[in-house]
Amino acid sequence: MKKFWALFFWFWPLVAILVCAVAPSRGWWFPSAPLSTLGHQIDGLFYLILIIVTVTFVGTQAALGYALWKGATKGSTQKAWFSHGSHKLEIIWTIVPAFILVFISLTQLDVLAEIRVISKFPDSVRNAPVAEVMARQFEWRIRYPKPGQQLMNVPQPGDLYFVNEVHVPAAIPTMINLRTQDVQHAFFVPRLRVKQDAVPGLIIPVWFEIEKAGEYELLCAELCGWGHYKMKARIIADSPKGVSEYLTRLEQEQNEDGVAEVDASKEQ
Amino acid sequence: METSIKITLKNQVLLGLLALSVSGCSDGDSSFAYSQRTQSLIKEAQNGSEGGPGVKQTLDTRFGNPQQLKAWMKLPVEWGGSAASVESFAASDTEARIKFVAQEGVTLPAVASSVQFVTGEGAGQSIALTAWDEKTGEAVLAGVPDKTPVSGDLCVIDGGSTLKSGRVLYMRHCSHCHGAAGDGNGPTAQYMIPKPRDYRHGVFKFTSTNDQSKVSRNDLLRVLKYGIPGTYMPSFLLMKEDELHAIVEYVRFLSMRGEYERRLVNELASDYSETAVSDRLASEKASDIVEELQSFLKDEFPATAETLGDDLAEIWTSADTEDAKILPTVARVEDSAESRQRGRELYLSKTLNCADCHGIDGAGNGPQTVAFEKNPVTNELYPEAGLHDVWDNPNQPRNLQRGIFRGGRRPIDLFCRIHAGIKGSRMPSFKNTPHEDIWHIVNYLLSLQFESDPGTIAAKSVAPSETGE
Ligand code: HEC
Ligand code: HEC
Ligand SMILES: [Cu+2]
Repeated sequence: MKKFWALFFWFWPLVAILVCAVAPSRGWWFPSAPLSTLGHQIDGLFYLILIIVTVTFVGTQAALGYALWKGATKGSTQKAWFSHGSHKLEIIWTIVPAFILVFISLTQLDVLAEIRVISKFPDSVRNAPVAEVMARQFEWRIRYPKPGQQLMNVPQPGDLYFVNEVHVPAAIPTMINLRTQDVQHAFFVPRLRVKQDAVPGLIIPVWFEIEKAGEYELLCAELCGWGHYKMKARIIADSPKGVSEYLTRLEQEQNEDGVAEVDASKEQ
Repeated sequence: METSIKITLKNQVLLGLLALSVSGCSDGDSSFAYSQRTQSLIKEAQNGSEGGPGVKQTLDTRFGNPQQLKAWMKLPVEWGGSAASVESFAASDTEARIKFVAQEGVTLPAVASSVQFVTGEGAGQSIALTAWDEKTGEAVLAGVPDKTPVSGDLCVIDGGSTLKSGRVLYMRHCSHCHGAAGDGNGPTAQYMIPKPRDYRHGVFKFTSTNDQSKVSRNDLLRVLKYGIPGTYMPSFLLMKEDELHAIVEYVRFLSMRGEYERRLVNELASDYSETAVSDRLASEKASDIVEELQSFLKDEFPATAETLGDDLAEIWTSADTEDAKILPTVARVEDSAESRQRGRELYLSKTLNCADCHGIDGAGNGPQTVAFEKNPVTNELYPEAGLHDVWDNPNQPRNLQRGIFRGGRRPIDLFCRIHAGIKGSRMPSFKNTPHEDIWHIVNYLLSLQFESDPGTIAAKSVAPSETGE
């Protein structure tokens, strides 16, 4: 029975190694491959941490199993050794984890800066948000500048409005301004690995470069009230030409005066 | 689908009602709540007698309950289902096989679970299908029918499928605000201003139809897709087209049910409400009143109930016709400082007097918002100052400076708001105003967010400032 516990604790590191080896190729960690440039770097960091954690887990479990095995196979006459109060040990288990944590935090600085620090944003997007995404209980309201104009923080005449659907160009860096009208929400696009809180009173620029045109799910990732689960929208990544055509269409629609319909119905 | 409706309409006398059981559903109430007005009638009027049904039974036989919806074919709801006719029928002791051919222009559904016979011996009977092949139209019936269908009998396969799926979606996405019966009083409604719409008046605010017309299907669809900005009504843009379509039909169904209930009660309220009867008791005997009611319920009420249904069908049908639609006769006047200026003059003019409610600067603070009003039904003063809508809720005139237009911000949306008013609310219709003048006002309204005095923004919109402020 004593040996059982040693084997028991040796069993789990084996499972962990197996899972970590198989998981990436089977896509167990993420909903899909990363589909934005930052996404690759974020996944890289994730895997780096995964390796560190796996090695640590395997190492400590192996040591635990070893200690149990030794205890189980030695005769019962031997006296136990108490490590309590050993300065040497304490220094080791403080310094080693601290070193690992400092290593992780230094390694991710670059990526974090690229995500958060405006001066590190790609030049082409830094002062050129394509849309304002306003979170609100429980929907996403979008405001685009009038085609050919710049997006202002304050609504301008000619701005275009839509809800729960954002059109952005694919294959080039894009930036949106994230805001909230009421409580905290979070702008989360799982397949792009983009997640950013929307904070009342702040205008938070969020940039990403979507690699492939297509439709991406946008979710709220901050429990924002009873209707939180309803806060779903879609991001449509399209060629820059496709986006500008969309905006032209939206502008036409928004200026609809109902008179064209009259002509159409007369012709019938 | 179209055809299915025509066929069933033609055979209305035979079919009349289609029972649409939604089995195995536990997510809903087991009955539609009756309105307060129904409950203010005396018991005999609510429940009827052997002689004739009262309000509750009249409603239930025509609309059913959430678990067992009924399709009153008279009403202009797209119930769903595919029209077909029987090609061949063969039955042994244990099994009945049947082959259908779709009516012209109809495709058979991919899955089907029931068939309802419309003509022939078995008209009216509804039988479940245990097997279904969409390609050949062959099916196995769940039992051997008492009346043998013959070749040529008309039937509806999966009748009411649209309504049923609308019900399921409605219960999931809408009922917590709008209530299972569409009474606008779901569990989350108490936290909201304005309150979720109570459909039972059959009145909707943001329509593209004339002031006297009902809401069109397209109007409801727009509200569902884009939500109502500035209120708690969310956008359901991500739903599929056929899901939205089914919900719209279910909302229409609930609206017609509620409106029908109101109209039935109107027939009885003046003589047989609790208060009316207690007044009458001063000079009449209770047993006489009940006897009179019973003979009314027996002799006249059933016919009235049918006529009311016809009226309802007519007004709801006409809302989707071109005649009901608001059509500006002139194109939008080009936006300019002069046009806005003219709009502002009209806004302030004695004849239109928008400022009376919306205030001189459009801040929604006109004199009407501080006056006390009487409830037109009870004739008592409301506890709070300001205007009230037909749902008896306080109705604040919109602050027009905020640039949030609940019914949409397209020029045509604002044109409709002014032309038809906002139905059910206190925003009146200005349908006699020349269309050109309405466009001037629209231009003014659209500029109000940016400037209180027309004429200053034209320059600004050309050269936005670099800082973004
Ligand atoms: C969070 C609560 C909420 C939910 C969920 C909700 N609504 Fe609403 N709805 C509202 C409110 C509030 C209004 C009233 C807005 C107003 O009066 O301006 C409204 C108004 C409406 C109107 C009236 C529009 C008009 O022109 O008068 C319709 C129709 C409607 N909702 C349908 C639906 C349907 C269908 C669903 C489900 C798919 C739904 N709503 C879900 C809150 C909600
Ligand atoms: C008797 C009072 C009254 C008068 C007069 C009145 N309004 Fe209103 N108006 C209202 C109320 C109340 C609402 C809010 C309705 C609601 O949503 O329930 C409203 C809403 C509106 C809206 C908002 C529409 C939207 O989509 O959000 C506009 C625009 C508007 N009014 C314009 C006008 C104009 C222009 C005039 C004059 C031609 C006018 N109103 C006259 C009471 C009034
Ligand atoms: Cu949220």
